[in-house]
Amino acid sequence: MDWGRLRFFLGEVFTNFTRNAGMQFTAIGTVAVTIVLLGAFLFVRDTIATFGNGVLSQIEIAVYLKDDVDDAKARGLAATFAADPRIASATYVPRRDGLKRMKDVLGSDFDTSLLTANPLPNAYHVRVKDPDLVPAVARSIDRDPRVAKTDYAADTVQKLLKAATILGRAGVALIALLSISAAIVIANTIRLTVFARRREIAIMQLVGATNMYIRLPFIAEGMLAGLLGAALAIGVLTLAAYEVVPKLASTLAFVTFHVNTLTLCFELLAVGAAVGLIASWFSVGRHLRA
Amino acid sequence: MISLRGVSLVYPNGTRALYDVDLEIEKGSFVFLVGHSGTGKSSLLKLLYREELPSSGQVVVDDIRVDTLRRGRVPKLRRNIGVVFQDFKLLSHKTVWENVAFALQVTGTRTKDVMRMVPRSLDLVGLSHKARVFPSELSGGEQQRAAIARALVGNPKILLCDEPTGNLDPSNTTEIMELLQRINIKGTTVVVATHNQAVVDRMRRRVVRLEHGRILHDDERGYYFRGLGQTALLPG
Ligand SMILES: Nc1ncnc2c1ncn2[C@@H]1O[C@H](COP(=O)(O)OP(=O)(O)O)[C@@H](O)[C@H]1O
Ligand SMILES: [Mg+2]
Repeated sequence: MDWGRLRFFLGEVFTNFTRNAGMQFTAIGTVAVTIVLLGAFLFVRDTIATFGNGVLSQIEIAVYLKDDVDDAKARGLAATFAADPRIASATYVPRRDGLKRMKDVLGSDFDTSLLTANPLPNAYHVRVKDPDLVPAVARSIDRDPRVAKTDYAADTVQKLLKAATILGRAGVALIALLSISAAIVIANTIRLTVFARRREIAIMQLVGATNMYIRLPFIAEGMLAGLLGAALAIGVLTLAAYEVVPKLASTLAFVTFHVNTLTLCFELLAVGAAVGLIASWFSVGRHLRA
Repeated sequence: MISLRGVSLVYPNGTRALYDVDLEIEKGSFVFLVGHSGTGKSSLLKLLYREELPSSGQVVVDDIRVDTLRRGRVPKLRRNIGVVFQDFKLLSHKTVWENVAFALQVTGTRTKDVMRMVPRSLDLVGLSHKARVFPSELSGGEQQRAAIARALVGNPKILLCDEPTGNLDPSNTTEIMELLQRINIKGTTVVVATHNQAVVDRMRRRVVRLEHGRILHDDERGYYFRGLGQTALLPG
Protein backbone atom coordinates (compact mmCIF):
# COMPACT_ATOMS: atom_id res chain seq x y z
CA MET A 1 0.00 0.00 0.00
CA ASP A 2 1.31 3.42 -1.01
CA TRP A 3 0.26 5.65 1.88
CA GLY A 4 1.64 8.77 0.19
CA ARG A 5 -0.74 8.27 -2.72
CA LEU A 6 -3.70 7.65 -0.41
CA ARG A 7 -2.86 10.75 1.62
CA PHE A 8 -2.60 12.84 -1.55
CA PHE A 9 -5.96 11.55 -2.78
CA LEU A 10 -7.72 12.16 0.55
CA GLY A 11 -6.12 15.61 0.71
CA GLU A 12 -7.59 16.43 -2.71
CA VAL A 13 -11.04 15.19 -1.62
CA PHE A 14 -10.84 17.25 1.56
CA THR A 15 -9.81 20.39 -0.36
CA ASN A 16 -12.72 19.83 -2.73
CA PHE A 17 -15.10 19.25 0.10
CA THR A 18 -14.22 22.38 2.02
CA ARG A 19 -14.06 24.53 -1.12
CA ASN A 20 -17.76 25.40 -0.96
CA ALA A 21 -18.84 24.37 2.49
CA GLY A 22 -22.15 26.23 2.38
CA MET A 23 -23.31 24.31 -0.64
CA GLN A 24 -22.10 21.07 0.95
CA PHE A 25 -24.28 21.70 4.00
CA THR A 26 -27.29 22.14 1.74
CA ALA A 27 -26.45 18.93 -0.06
CA ILE A 28 -25.95 17.00 3.17
CA GLY A 29 -29.18 18.44 4.60
CA THR A 30 -31.19 17.47 1.54
CA VAL A 31 -29.85 13.94 1.66
CA ALA A 32 -30.58 13.79 5.40
CA VAL A 33 -34.20 14.91 4.98
CA THR A 34 -34.71 12.42 2.17
CA ILE A 35 -33.30 9.58 4.20
CA VAL A 36 -35.18 10.46 7.39
CA LEU A 37 -38.39 10.29 5.38
CA LEU A 38 -37.24 7.07 3.75
CA GLY A 39 -36.52 5.60 7.18
CA ALA A 40 -39.88 6.74 8.56
CA PHE A 41 -41.62 5.35 5.51
CA LEU A 42 -39.88 1.98 5.78
CA PHE A 43 -40.78 1.86 9.48
CA VAL A 44 -44.47 2.59 8.87
CA ARG A 45 -44.61 0.15 5.98
CA ASP A 46 -42.97 -2.64 7.99
CA THR A 47 -45.25 -1.99 10.92
CA ILE A 48 -48.34 -2.17 8.74
CA ALA A 49 -47.08 -5.30 7.04
CA THR A 50 -46.33 -7.01 10.34
CA PHE A 51 -49.65 -5.92 11.75
CA GLY A 52 -51.55 -6.95 8.62
CA ASN A 53 -49.93 -10.37 8.50
CA GLY A 54 -50.63 -10.85 12.20
CA VAL A 55 -54.30 -10.07 11.64
CA LEU A 56 -54.50 -12.19 8.54
CA SER A 57 -53.01 -15.24 10.21
CA GLN A 58 -55.71 -14.99 12.83
CA ILE A 59 -58.64 -14.73 10.47
CA GLU A 60 -61.26 -17.33 11.12
CA ILE A 61 -64.23 -18.20 8.99
CA ALA A 62 -67.31 -18.49 11.13
CA VAL A 63 -69.51 -21.18 9.61
CA TYR A 64 -73.09 -21.00 10.91
CA LEU A 65 -75.09 -24.15 10.42
CA LYS A 66 -78.75 -24.39 9.60
CA ASP A 67 -81.16 -24.74 12.56
CA ASP A 68 -82.13 -28.29 11.65
CA VAL A 69 -78.52 -29.49 11.75
CA ASP A 70 -78.13 -31.11 15.13
CA ASP A 71 -74.87 -31.97 16.88
CA ALA A 72 -74.60 -35.38 15.30
CA LYS A 73 -75.14 -34.11 11.77
CA ALA A 74 -72.83 -31.22 12.43
CA ARG A 75 -69.97 -33.49 13.43
CA GLY A 76 -70.17 -35.04 9.98
CA LEU A 77 -68.89 -31.78 8.55
CA ALA A 78 -65.58 -32.23 10.37
CA ALA A 79 -64.62 -34.92 7.85
CA THR A 80 -65.40 -32.57 4.94
CA PHE A 81 -63.18 -29.88 6.46
CA ALA A 82 -60.40 -32.38 7.19
CA ALA A 83 -60.43 -33.45 3.56
CA ASP A 84 -59.85 -29.88 2.34
CA PRO A 85 -56.07 -29.28 2.07
CA ARG A 86 -56.51 -25.50 2.36
CA ILE A 87 -58.00 -25.73 5.83
CA ALA A 88 -55.67 -25.66 8.80
CA SER A 89 -58.17 -26.44 11.52
CA ALA A 90 -61.87 -26.53 12.20
CA THR A 91 -63.33 -26.26 15.69
CA TYR A 92 -66.90 -27.18 16.39
CA VAL A 93 -68.70 -24.65 18.56
CA PRO A 94 -72.12 -25.94 19.66
CA ARG A 95 -74.69 -23.21 20.35
CA ARG A 96 -74.30 -23.35 24.15
CA ASP A 97 -70.52 -22.87 23.89
CA GLY A 98 -71.08 -20.04 21.44
CA LEU A 99 -73.06 -18.10 23.98
CA LYS A 100 -70.38 -18.64 26.60
CA ARG A 101 -67.68 -17.50 24.22
CA MET A 102 -69.58 -14.38 23.40
CA LYS A 103 -69.88 -13.65 27.14
CA ASP A 104 -66.16 -14.19 27.54
CA VAL A 105 -65.31 -11.80 24.76
CA LEU A 106 -67.81 -9.07 25.51
CA GLY A 107 -67.77 -9.41 29.30
CA SER A 108 -70.33 -7.57 31.41
CA ASP A 109 -71.52 -5.47 28.47
CA PHE A 110 -73.40 -8.53 27.27
CA ASP A 111 -76.50 -9.10 29.37
CA THR A 112 -77.82 -12.64 28.85
CA SER A 113 -80.65 -12.22 31.30
CA LEU A 114 -82.72 -10.57 28.57
CA LEU A 115 -82.53 -13.61 26.33
CA THR A 116 -85.44 -16.08 26.54
CA ALA A 117 -83.73 -18.60 24.28
CA ASN A 118 -80.21 -19.08 22.86
CA PRO A 119 -80.30 -17.28 19.48
CA LEU A 120 -77.04 -18.74 18.25
CA PRO A 121 -76.84 -21.58 15.74
CA ASN A 122 -74.34 -24.40 15.92
CA ALA A 123 -71.15 -23.26 14.27
CA TYR A 124 -67.64 -24.15 13.16
CA HIS A 125 -64.63 -21.87 13.41
CA VAL A 126 -62.43 -22.64 10.44
CA ARG A 127 -58.82 -21.50 10.09
CA VAL A 128 -57.28 -21.37 6.64
CA LYS A 129 -53.59 -22.02 6.01
CA ASP A 130 -53.10 -19.18 3.51
CA PRO A 131 -54.86 -15.88 4.32
CA ASP A 132 -55.27 -15.19 0.60
CA LEU A 133 -57.49 -18.26 0.25
CA VAL A 134 -60.01 -17.17 2.90
CA PRO A 135 -62.64 -15.87 0.44
CA ALA A 136 -62.40 -18.98 -1.80
CA VAL A 137 -62.64 -21.39 1.12
CA ALA A 138 -65.59 -19.48 2.56
CA ARG A 139 -67.40 -19.70 -0.78
CA SER A 140 -66.90 -23.44 -1.11
CA ILE A 141 -68.08 -24.02 2.48
CA ASP A 142 -71.13 -21.90 1.71
CA ARG A 143 -72.24 -24.40 -0.93
CA ASP A 144 -72.63 -27.19 1.62
CA PRO A 145 -76.39 -27.83 2.23
CA ARG A 146 -75.89 -27.95 6.00
CA VAL A 147 -74.39 -24.45 6.08
CA ALA A 148 -76.64 -21.45 6.60
CA LYS A 149 -74.05 -18.72 6.29
CA THR A 150 -70.31 -17.99 6.46
CA ASP A 151 -68.72 -14.88 7.85
CA TYR A 152 -65.21 -13.44 8.07
CA ALA A 153 -63.60 -10.05 8.49
CA ALA A 154 -63.03 -9.80 4.77
CA ASP A 155 -63.73 -6.16 4.16
CA THR A 156 -61.68 -4.87 7.02
CA VAL A 157 -58.66 -6.90 6.12
CA GLN A 158 -58.87 -6.18 2.46
CA LYS A 159 -59.21 -2.46 3.07
CA LEU A 160 -56.21 -2.56 5.35
CA LEU A 161 -54.11 -4.30 2.75
CA LYS A 162 -55.30 -1.97 0.03
CA ALA A 163 -54.40 1.04 2.17
CA ALA A 164 -50.97 -0.43 2.77
CA THR A 165 -50.46 -0.93 -0.96
CA ILE A 166 -51.50 2.64 -1.77
CA LEU A 167 -49.36 3.99 1.04
CA GLY A 168 -46.47 1.92 -0.31
CA ARG A 169 -46.86 3.34 -3.82
CA ALA A 170 -47.22 6.93 -2.61
CA GLY A 171 -44.21 6.42 -0.35
CA VAL A 172 -42.10 5.03 -3.18
CA ALA A 173 -43.06 7.97 -5.41
CA LEU A 174 -42.28 10.47 -2.67
CA ILE A 175 -38.93 8.88 -1.89
CA ALA A 176 -38.07 8.76 -5.59
CA LEU A 177 -38.85 12.47 -5.96
CA LEU A 178 -36.85 13.35 -2.88
CA SER A 179 -33.92 11.23 -4.01
CA ILE A 180 -33.94 13.00 -7.35
CA SER A 181 -33.94 16.41 -5.72
CA ALA A 182 -31.14 15.33 -3.37
CA ALA A 183 -29.19 14.12 -6.39
CA ILE A 184 -29.74 17.44 -8.15
CA VAL A 185 -28.48 19.39 -5.15
CA ILE A 186 -25.39 17.18 -4.94
CA ALA A 187 -24.82 17.48 -8.69
CA ASN A 188 -24.97 21.26 -8.43
CA THR A 189 -22.58 21.25 -5.50
CA ILE A 190 -20.14 19.12 -7.43
CA ARG A 191 -20.51 21.42 -10.42
CA LEU A 192 -19.50 24.36 -8.24
CA THR A 193 -16.51 22.40 -6.97
CA VAL A 194 -15.58 21.49 -10.52
CA PHE A 195 -15.81 25.16 -11.42
CA ALA A 196 -13.75 26.19 -8.40
CA ARG A 197 -11.15 23.61 -9.39
CA ARG A 198 -11.13 24.21 -13.13
CA ARG A 199 -7.46 25.27 -13.00
CA GLU A 200 -6.46 22.04 -11.28
CA ILE A 201 -8.51 20.05 -13.75
CA ALA A 202 -6.93 21.86 -16.70
CA ILE A 203 -3.46 21.08 -15.37
CA MET A 204 -4.36 17.47 -14.66
CA GLN A 205 -5.52 17.11 -18.25
CA LEU A 206 -2.42 18.87 -19.51
CA VAL A 207 0.02 16.59 -17.69
CA GLY A 208 -1.82 13.46 -18.75
CA ALA A 209 -4.09 12.42 -15.89
CA THR A 210 -6.80 10.05 -17.06
CA ASN A 211 -10.41 11.19 -16.96
CA MET A 212 -11.08 8.42 -14.45
CA TYR A 213 -8.41 9.79 -12.15
CA ILE A 214 -9.70 13.36 -12.50
CA ARG A 215 -13.19 12.15 -11.77
CA LEU A 216 -12.34 10.14 -8.68
CA PRO A 217 -11.96 12.93 -6.08
CA PHE A 218 -15.25 14.47 -7.19
CA ILE A 219 -17.03 11.13 -7.05
CA ALA A 220 -15.57 10.61 -3.58
CA GLU A 221 -16.75 14.08 -2.63
CA GLY A 222 -20.30 13.33 -3.80
CA MET A 223 -20.31 10.01 -1.98
CA LEU A 224 -19.01 11.70 1.15
CA ALA A 225 -21.86 14.22 1.05
CA GLY A 226 -24.32 11.35 0.58
CA LEU A 227 -22.81 9.32 3.41
CA LEU A 228 -22.73 12.28 5.81
CA GLY A 229 -26.35 13.05 4.96
CA ALA A 230 -27.29 9.43 5.61
CA ALA A 231 -25.35 9.39 8.88
CA LEU A 232 -27.14 12.53 10.00
CA ALA A 233 -30.46 10.95 9.07
CA ILE A 234 -29.60 7.78 10.98
CA GLY A 235 -28.84 9.92 14.02
CA VAL A 236 -32.24 11.60 13.75
CA LEU A 237 -34.00 8.27 13.20
CA THR A 238 -32.22 6.66 16.15
CA LEU A 239 -33.27 9.52 18.36
CA ALA A 240 -36.83 9.14 17.10
CA ALA A 241 -36.72 5.40 17.71
CA TYR A 242 -35.72 5.92 21.34
CA GLU A 243 -38.06 8.81 22.00
CA VAL A 244 -41.15 8.19 19.89
CA VAL A 245 -41.49 4.44 19.41
CA PRO A 246 -41.92 3.53 23.12
CA LYS A 247 -44.69 6.12 23.38
CA LEU A 248 -46.34 4.76 20.25
CA ALA A 249 -45.97 1.24 21.55
CA SER A 250 -47.77 2.08 24.79
CA THR A 251 -50.56 3.89 22.92
CA LEU A 252 -51.03 1.36 20.16
CA ALA A 253 -50.56 -1.76 22.23
CA PHE A 254 -51.95 -4.10 19.59
CA VAL A 255 -49.23 -3.15 17.08
CA THR A 256 -45.83 -4.78 17.37
CA PHE A 257 -42.96 -2.47 16.48
CA HIS A 258 -39.98 -4.16 15.08
CA VAL A 259 -37.02 -2.70 13.21
CA ASN A 260 -33.93 -4.55 12.05
CA THR A 261 -31.70 -1.60 12.91
CA LEU A 262 -28.31 -2.70 11.66
CA THR A 263 -29.46 -3.79 8.22
CA LEU A 264 -31.55 -0.66 7.93
CA CYS A 265 -28.56 1.55 8.79
CA PHE A 266 -26.44 -0.07 6.11
CA GLU A 267 -29.25 0.25 3.61
CA LEU A 268 -29.72 3.93 4.36
CA LEU A 269 -25.97 4.60 4.14
CA ALA A 270 -25.91 2.74 0.84
CA VAL A 271 -28.78 4.87 -0.44
CA GLY A 272 -26.93 8.05 0.55
CA ALA A 273 -23.69 6.91 -1.05
CA ALA A 274 -25.48 5.81 -4.21
CA VAL A 275 -27.30 9.13 -4.59
CA GLY A 276 -23.99 10.99 -4.16
CA LEU A 277 -22.16 8.69 -6.53
CA ILE A 278 -24.67 8.91 -9.36
CA ALA A 279 -25.08 12.67 -9.01
CA SER A 280 -21.35 13.45 -9.01
CA TRP A 281 -20.58 10.94 -11.77
CA PHE A 282 -22.86 12.74 -14.20
CA SER A 283 -21.93 16.19 -12.96
CA VAL A 284 -18.18 15.74 -13.56
CA GLY A 285 -18.70 13.67 -16.69
CA ARG A 286 -20.49 16.52 -18.36
CA HIS A 287 -17.61 18.86 -17.63
CA LEU A 288 -14.86 16.49 -18.79
CA ARG A 289 -16.51 15.78 -22.12
CA ALA A 290 -16.71 19.49 -22.88
CA MET B 1 9.89 13.59 -33.60
CA ILE B 2 7.21 16.05 -34.78
CA SER B 3 5.62 16.05 -38.21
CA LEU B 4 2.75 18.09 -39.65
CA ARG B 5 1.54 17.30 -43.17
CA GLY B 6 -1.00 19.51 -44.93
CA VAL B 7 -2.47 20.60 -41.61
CA SER B 8 -5.34 23.08 -41.54
CA LEU B 9 -7.26 24.21 -38.49
CA VAL B 10 -10.63 25.92 -38.60
CA TYR B 11 -12.20 26.74 -35.22
CA PRO B 12 -15.90 26.00 -34.70
CA ASN B 13 -16.70 29.71 -35.03
CA GLY B 14 -15.24 29.69 -38.54
CA THR B 15 -11.86 31.29 -37.73
CA ARG B 16 -9.13 29.76 -39.90
CA ALA B 17 -6.03 29.52 -37.71
CA LEU B 18 -3.76 27.34 -39.89
CA TYR B 19 -3.63 26.74 -43.66
CA ASP B 20 -1.96 23.70 -45.17
CA VAL B 21 1.03 23.66 -42.81
CA ASP B 22 3.95 21.26 -43.43
CA LEU B 23 6.56 21.06 -40.72
CA GLU B 24 9.17 18.52 -39.64
CA ILE B 25 11.04 18.83 -36.35
CA GLU B 26 13.86 16.42 -35.57
CA LYS B 27 14.48 14.75 -32.27
CA GLY B 28 16.65 16.85 -29.99
CA SER B 29 16.28 20.09 -31.94
CA PHE B 30 15.45 23.58 -30.72
CA VAL B 31 12.90 25.49 -32.78
CA PHE B 32 11.44 28.98 -32.53
CA LEU B 33 7.92 29.52 -33.80
CA VAL B 34 7.59 33.24 -34.46
CA GLY B 35 5.05 35.65 -35.87
CA HIS B 36 2.66 38.40 -34.84
CA SER B 37 0.02 37.62 -32.32
CA GLY B 38 -2.95 35.88 -33.90
CA THR B 39 -0.95 34.12 -36.61
CA GLY B 40 -1.53 30.64 -35.22
CA LYS B 41 1.50 29.86 -33.04
CA SER B 42 -0.53 28.72 -30.06
CA SER B 43 -2.90 26.84 -32.34
CA LEU B 44 -0.01 24.90 -33.85
CA LEU B 45 1.27 23.93 -30.40
CA LYS B 46 -2.24 22.89 -29.34
CA LEU B 47 -2.37 20.46 -32.25
CA LEU B 48 0.77 18.78 -30.92
CA TYR B 49 -0.62 18.03 -27.45
CA ARG B 50 -4.08 17.42 -28.88
CA GLU B 51 -5.80 20.33 -27.27
CA GLU B 52 -7.20 20.90 -30.76
CA LEU B 53 -7.75 18.48 -33.62
CA PRO B 54 -6.82 19.50 -37.18
CA SER B 55 -9.64 20.06 -39.66
CA SER B 56 -7.50 18.28 -42.23
CA GLY B 57 -3.98 16.93 -42.52
CA GLN B 58 -1.95 14.65 -40.34
CA VAL B 59 -0.13 15.29 -37.06
CA VAL B 60 2.51 12.86 -35.79
CA VAL B 61 4.29 13.32 -32.46
CA ASP B 62 6.83 10.76 -31.31
CA ASP B 63 5.46 8.19 -33.77
CA ILE B 64 1.91 8.71 -32.50
CA ARG B 65 -0.78 9.77 -35.00
CA VAL B 66 -2.26 12.56 -32.90
CA ASP B 67 -5.05 13.57 -35.30
CA THR B 68 -6.67 10.12 -35.15
CA LEU B 69 -5.70 9.33 -31.56
CA ARG B 70 -8.46 7.79 -29.48
CA ARG B 71 -9.59 9.94 -26.55
CA GLY B 72 -8.51 7.31 -24.04
CA ARG B 73 -4.92 7.43 -25.35
CA VAL B 74 -4.52 11.20 -24.96
CA PRO B 75 -3.14 11.00 -21.37
CA LYS B 76 -0.29 8.79 -22.55
CA LEU B 77 0.60 11.27 -25.31
CA ARG B 78 0.58 14.17 -22.88
CA ARG B 79 2.86 12.42 -20.40
CA ASN B 80 5.44 12.59 -23.16
CA ILE B 81 5.00 16.31 -23.75
CA GLY B 82 5.74 19.07 -21.27
CA VAL B 83 3.91 22.36 -21.86
CA VAL B 84 4.78 25.79 -20.45
CA PHE B 85 2.70 28.97 -20.81
CA GLN B 86 3.10 32.69 -20.52
CA ASP B 87 0.95 32.77 -17.36
CA PHE B 88 2.78 29.84 -15.66
CA LYS B 89 -0.48 28.14 -14.57
CA LEU B 90 0.80 27.28 -11.11
CA LEU B 91 -1.66 26.34 -8.37
CA SER B 92 -1.58 29.16 -5.85
CA HIS B 93 -2.55 27.08 -2.80
CA LYS B 94 0.23 24.57 -3.38
CA THR B 95 3.93 25.08 -2.71
CA VAL B 96 6.51 24.84 -5.49
CA TRP B 97 7.27 21.29 -4.40
CA GLU B 98 3.58 20.37 -4.40
CA ASN B 99 3.02 22.00 -7.79
CA VAL B 100 5.79 19.94 -9.33
CA ALA B 101 4.77 16.75 -7.50
CA PHE B 102 1.16 17.28 -8.62
CA ALA B 103 2.02 16.36 -12.22
CA LEU B 104 3.37 13.02 -11.03
CA GLN B 105 0.75 12.32 -8.39
CA VAL B 106 -2.21 12.77 -10.72
CA THR B 107 -0.66 10.38 -13.21
CA GLY B 108 -0.43 7.68 -10.58
CA THR B 109 3.32 7.77 -9.88
CA ARG B 110 4.45 5.87 -6.80
CA THR B 111 5.36 8.08 -3.83
CA LYS B 112 8.85 6.58 -3.79
CA ASP B 113 9.41 7.85 -7.35
CA VAL B 114 7.79 11.22 -6.63
CA MET B 115 10.27 11.75 -3.79
CA ARG B 116 13.12 11.01 -6.14
CA MET B 117 11.94 12.86 -9.27
CA VAL B 118 10.69 16.15 -7.81
CA PRO B 119 14.04 17.21 -6.23
CA ARG B 120 15.86 16.31 -9.44
CA SER B 121 13.58 18.53 -11.50
CA LEU B 122 13.76 21.41 -9.01
CA ASP B 123 17.52 21.10 -9.06
CA LEU B 124 17.57 21.27 -12.87
CA VAL B 125 15.73 24.63 -12.86
CA GLY B 126 17.67 25.89 -9.82
CA LEU B 127 14.72 26.17 -7.44
CA SER B 128 15.65 23.61 -4.78
CA HIS B 129 15.95 26.33 -2.17
CA LYS B 130 12.39 27.58 -2.88
CA ALA B 131 10.69 24.19 -2.71
CA ARG B 132 8.54 25.05 0.33
CA VAL B 133 7.51 28.46 -0.96
CA PHE B 134 4.15 29.41 -2.49
CA PRO B 135 4.04 30.80 -6.06
CA SER B 136 2.89 34.23 -4.85
CA GLU B 137 6.22 34.57 -3.00
CA LEU B 138 8.26 33.98 -6.18
CA SER B 139 9.46 36.37 -8.88
CA GLY B 140 8.07 35.92 -12.38
CA GLY B 141 11.22 34.19 -13.53
CA GLU B 142 11.11 31.82 -10.56
CA GLN B 143 7.47 31.05 -11.23
CA GLN B 144 8.28 30.17 -14.80
CA ARG B 145 11.14 27.97 -13.62
CA ALA B 146 8.70 26.20 -11.29
CA ALA B 147 6.35 25.69 -14.24
CA ILE B 148 9.24 24.29 -16.30
CA ALA B 149 10.16 21.96 -13.44
CA ARG B 150 6.57 20.70 -13.43
CA ALA B 151 6.58 20.25 -17.21
CA LEU B 152 9.83 18.28 -17.09
CA VAL B 153 9.39 16.24 -13.92
CA GLY B 154 8.00 13.24 -15.79
CA ASN B 155 10.93 13.24 -18.26
CA PRO B 156 8.97 14.11 -21.41
CA LYS B 157 10.73 13.91 -24.77
CA ILE B 158 9.28 17.20 -25.93
CA LEU B 159 8.94 20.58 -24.23
CA LEU B 160 6.49 23.05 -25.78
CA CYS B 161 6.70 26.68 -24.61
CA ASP B 162 3.98 29.16 -25.54
CA GLU B 163 5.36 32.69 -25.03
CA PRO B 164 7.39 31.51 -22.00
CA THR B 165 8.96 34.94 -21.46
CA GLY B 166 5.89 37.01 -22.33
CA ASN B 167 5.45 38.14 -18.72
CA LEU B 168 9.13 38.48 -17.83
CA ASP B 169 11.65 41.33 -17.75
CA PRO B 170 14.80 41.10 -19.92
CA SER B 171 17.05 39.59 -17.27
CA ASN B 172 14.52 36.93 -16.30
CA THR B 173 13.94 36.31 -20.00
CA THR B 174 17.62 35.64 -20.54
CA GLU B 175 17.68 33.31 -17.56
CA ILE B 176 14.72 31.28 -18.83
CA MET B 177 16.12 31.05 -22.37
CA GLU B 178 19.43 29.80 -20.98
CA LEU B 179 17.55 27.22 -18.97
CA LEU B 180 15.64 26.07 -22.07
CA GLN B 181 18.91 25.75 -23.93
CA ARG B 182 20.40 23.61 -21.15
CA ILE B 183 17.29 21.41 -21.21
CA ASN B 184 17.68 21.04 -24.98
CA ILE B 185 21.33 20.07 -24.67
CA LYS B 186 20.31 17.26 -22.30
CA GLY B 187 18.30 15.81 -25.21
CA THR B 188 14.77 17.22 -24.92
CA THR B 189 13.21 18.55 -28.14
CA VAL B 190 12.21 22.16 -27.42
CA VAL B 191 9.67 24.24 -29.38
CA VAL B 192 9.26 27.87 -28.33
CA ALA B 193 6.48 30.09 -29.66
CA THR B 194 7.42 33.72 -29.15
CA HIS B 195 7.19 37.18 -30.61
CA ASN B 196 10.24 38.37 -28.68
CA GLN B 197 12.64 39.48 -31.42
CA ALA B 198 15.65 40.02 -29.13
CA VAL B 199 15.51 36.48 -27.79
CA VAL B 200 15.26 34.92 -31.24
CA ASP B 201 18.00 37.03 -32.79
CA ARG B 202 20.41 36.39 -29.92
CA MET B 203 19.97 32.59 -29.89
CA ARG B 204 20.43 31.93 -33.64
CA ARG B 205 18.43 28.71 -33.73
CA ARG B 206 16.00 27.36 -36.28
CA VAL B 207 13.22 29.90 -36.85
CA VAL B 208 9.83 28.97 -38.32
CA ARG B 209 7.88 32.07 -39.17
CA LEU B 210 4.09 31.95 -39.33
CA GLU B 211 1.94 34.60 -40.92
CA HIS B 212 -1.85 34.43 -41.13
CA GLY B 213 -1.73 30.71 -40.44
CA ARG B 214 0.84 29.86 -43.11
CA ILE B 215 4.57 29.13 -42.84
CA LEU B 216 6.27 32.15 -44.37
CA HIS B 217 9.84 30.97 -43.96
CA ASP B 218 11.82 28.33 -42.11
CA ASP B 219 15.55 29.05 -41.53
CA GLU B 220 18.30 27.16 -39.76
CA ARG B 221 20.18 29.61 -37.51
CA GLY B 222 17.63 32.26 -38.46
CA TYR B 223 16.53 35.69 -37.30
CA TYR B 224 13.13 36.95 -36.21
CA PHE B 225 12.86 38.94 -39.45
CA ARG B 226 14.58 37.27 -42.38
CA GLY B 227 17.52 39.44 -43.45
CA LEU B 228 16.91 42.10 -40.84
CA GLY B 229 19.06 40.33 -38.24
CA GLN B 230 22.24 40.89 -40.25
CA THR B 231 21.57 44.59 -40.84
CA ALA B 232 20.89 45.03 -37.15
CA LEU B 233 24.36 43.69 -36.46
CA LEU B 234 26.08 46.10 -38.84
CA PRO B 235 28.05 48.81 -37.09
CA GLY B 236 26.81 52.39 -37.20
N1 LIG C 1 -10.56 28.64 -29.33
C1 LIG C 1 -10.60 29.46 -30.41
N2 LIG C 1 -11.77 29.65 -31.05
C2 LIG C 1 -11.83 30.45 -32.11
N3 LIG C 1 -10.79 31.11 -32.62
C3 LIG C 1 -9.60 30.97 -32.02
C4 LIG C 1 -9.45 30.15 -30.87
N4 LIG C 1 -8.15 30.19 -30.49
C5 LIG C 1 -7.54 31.01 -31.35
N5 LIG C 1 -8.40 31.48 -32.28
C6 LIG C 1 -8.07 32.37 -33.41
O1 LIG C 1 -7.14 31.70 -34.21
C7 LIG C 1 -6.16 32.59 -34.69
C8 LIG C 1 -4.79 32.13 -34.23
O2 LIG C 1 -4.71 32.25 -32.83
P1 LIG C 1 -3.45 31.78 -31.98
O3 LIG C 1 -3.08 30.41 -32.42
O4 LIG C 1 -3.77 31.97 -30.55
O5 LIG C 1 -2.37 32.81 -32.43
P2 LIG C 1 -0.99 33.23 -31.75
O6 LIG C 1 -0.69 32.25 -30.68
O7 LIG C 1 -0.01 33.26 -32.86
O8 LIG C 1 -1.21 34.60 -31.20
C9 LIG C 1 -6.54 33.95 -34.14
O9 LIG C 1 -7.28 34.63 -35.16
C10 LIG C 1 -7.41 33.65 -32.97
O10 LIG C 1 -8.36 34.67 -32.78
MG1 LIG D 1 -0.49 32.60 -28.64
